[in-house]
Amino acid sequence: MIGLSLSEIQEYLSRSDLSKFPEFQVSVLRNIMLEPIEPYLRYMAYQIGLNAQVKFGGYDNVFQDAVGGKDDLLSKNTDCILVFTKLDTLSSGLARNFTALSASEIQAEIDRIKDYITNVLSGIRKQTAALVLWHGFELPVYPAFGILESQKSNGQLATINNLNEFLKSKLNDDKNAYFVDLNLSLVRLGANRFYDSRYWHIGRAPFTREALLDIASEEFKFIRALKGKNKKCLALDCDNVLWGGIVGEDGLSGIKLGKTYPGSAYYEFQQEVLNLHNRGVILALCSRNNEEDVWEVFKKHPDMLIKQDHITTTQINWRDKATNLKQIAWDLNIALDSIVFVDDSEFEVNLIRKCVPEVEVIHMPPARTEEFGNILASCGLFDTLALSSEDKKRGVMYKAEAARKKFLTQFADLESYYKSLEMEIDIGFADEFSIPRIAQLSQKTNQFNLTTRRYSEADIWTFSNSDKSDVIYIRLKDIFGDSGIVGVCILKYEDEKAIFDTFLLSCRVLGRCIEEVFLVETLKLVKKRGAYKVAIGEYYPTRKNSQVELFYKNNGFEEVEPDRKTTTKKFQYNVETKLKPKSSFFKKINARINQSEKGKR
Amino acid sequence: MKNRVIKVVSGIMDTPIEKLDEESSPDTVEKWDSIRHMNLILALEEEFGVCFSGEEIVEMLNVQIIIETLREKVVQ
Repeated sequence: MIGLSLSEIQEYLSRSDLSKFPEFQVSVLRNIMLEPIEPYLRYMAYQIGLNAQVKFGGYDNVFQDAVGGKDDLLSKNTDCILVFTKLDTLSSGLARNFTALSASEIQAEIDRIKDYITNVLSGIRKQTAALVLWHGFELPVYPAFGILESQKSNGQLATINNLNEFLKSKLNDDKNAYFVDLNLSLVRLGANRFYDSRYWHIGRAPFTREALLDIASEEFKFIRALKGKNKKCLALDCDNVLWGGIVGEDGLSGIKLGKTYPGSAYYEFQQEVLNLHNRGVILALCSRNNEEDVWEVFKKHPDMLIKQDHITTTQINWRDKATNLKQIAWDLNIALDSIVFVDDSEFEVNLIRKCVPEVEVIHMPPARTEEFGNILASCGLFDTLALSSEDKKRGVMYKAEAARKKFLTQFADLESYYKSLEMEIDIGFADEFSIPRIAQLSQKTNQFNLTTRRYSEADIWTFSNSDKSDVIYIRLKDIFGDSGIVGVCILKYEDEKAIFDTFLLSCRVLGRCIEEVFLVETLKLVKKRGAYKVAIGEYYPTRKNSQVELFYKNNGFEEVEPDRKTTTKKFQYNVETKLKPKSSFFKKINARINQSEKGKR
Repeated sequence: MKNRVIKVVSGIMDTPIEKLDEESSPDTVEKWDSIRHMNLILALEEEFGVCFSGEEIVEMLNVQIIIETLREKVVQ
């Protein structure tokens, strides 16, 4: 983690113009003094382009605040609620006096705390559906029964674990609440660096600044994922990153890579890279080498864990790496700020920071090769809130995208190219299998996204179950493989109007007329619903979605009364207008939303 | 030493340096409450590379005492 002092952070914050970023309202419910965490929260928010406003509930007023004690603490404007319930304050018996309690007294405390958790969570939910990050109970560093604890099934450790499991399951039942494990921060820092017992006694503030920074950065891993700011692609240098030494000079047998020191550090680093790959991170190579030297290592080195198949695209040449990273982004059809670049050279790292600041850079310090694996694991930049089956296949799917791009060059005209892809489309209503992926697309899609509204799984469930809205997805398959769910449309119905609340497509599948088919089929559904005369499409400009500004206009909608005061554009469509689908490109269009009698599943 | 302390106090208490002197304390500086006092102590520890005891923390309630406490700890 970054080793920044508070004064550096405060100076950084005061120098930066936070007002240009969207506000992010954080409310903290707590039974400890926690005010010193505020600058760290604001700093972490700034890193992902948010202007955090932090409000604190009353000290030890978690329950009262949850059920509506303080007026403006929890509201529909709240974006995130941090809950801290330290056991020492919640139950001084369980935390500090455990050995004096009888079995029935312990049970009574457990029951009381479980009720408390249930009531606080339902109290919060009556006021807001916002993201809840609830910090679990820390395990005692010196548990009550000493060495006996590890032999007992009803000791203090077991009791606290039991409470944590209960809390986890409660949060799991809620679609927008997550368990933050403080024990991870505690283990990473060690108790002496995590707790400041002086301020615990003087002011009931238990944590050191280092701990607060680590906790804030852990919280922002969730927020980053929720806001779709998590990274998608890891671009790797080769020499002195994937292996020790320079393959062009040291040769295949001269590079350091293997089960023993010093090659073991690179071996572990590769294991960490594959961990990320298995979680859906796309791998790319960006290095200065002769390409055949690199592939020789991949094919022939016995301890090379990463195989050619894991790599989706490469730029192995002698050009500058800024140009190469831009090419990688283009090949994969992703934005530069979705890429994390790893290099050992200070020169390359500074070049990228200067020329392509959108790319996140991790510098691997040559003197600390043993820590490369940990440095990569600690960044948390790729963390996601859920792992869908699409994620696990992502590398393969993007590889197919790169193959499609190559394939395209063989065709004289686009139409014959589209036809040769043998695209099959499936359009259906959201269901329990598709909702996690739908929420994920809503949170992550930036470019082809007309309104960029971010929804959680809970939101999608609500829309899907309501009579006043439809949630529709589109799946795509072609000769290169199954792309899975690649687009989402959310229709909301008001009086005689059907409003396109959300219309988005994954950038992977752009340029294949899929958006047009999707729009046509959803308009057919609106017509079939019968009660609605016009469809309304809106465009909310962001830094990334200018390509869809004219999407509705180009597809038969008319712009309504341009409002000079806002940059939002509004378009309308009379449902009686005749539709002209470009279905000739597609091998098959299975629009299930328009097939069933009732409309919904 | 005095200037460095006052600079830290000024930053934490969000109060101009000109308005601070050795007599400044929670009684004379409006924003000097218990939370900012905690931040002040942590900032002083960071600035001077020292560590105060709990007893010292609760007594360091004006700039003069802060300077004296620091003098005992910092070898100049």
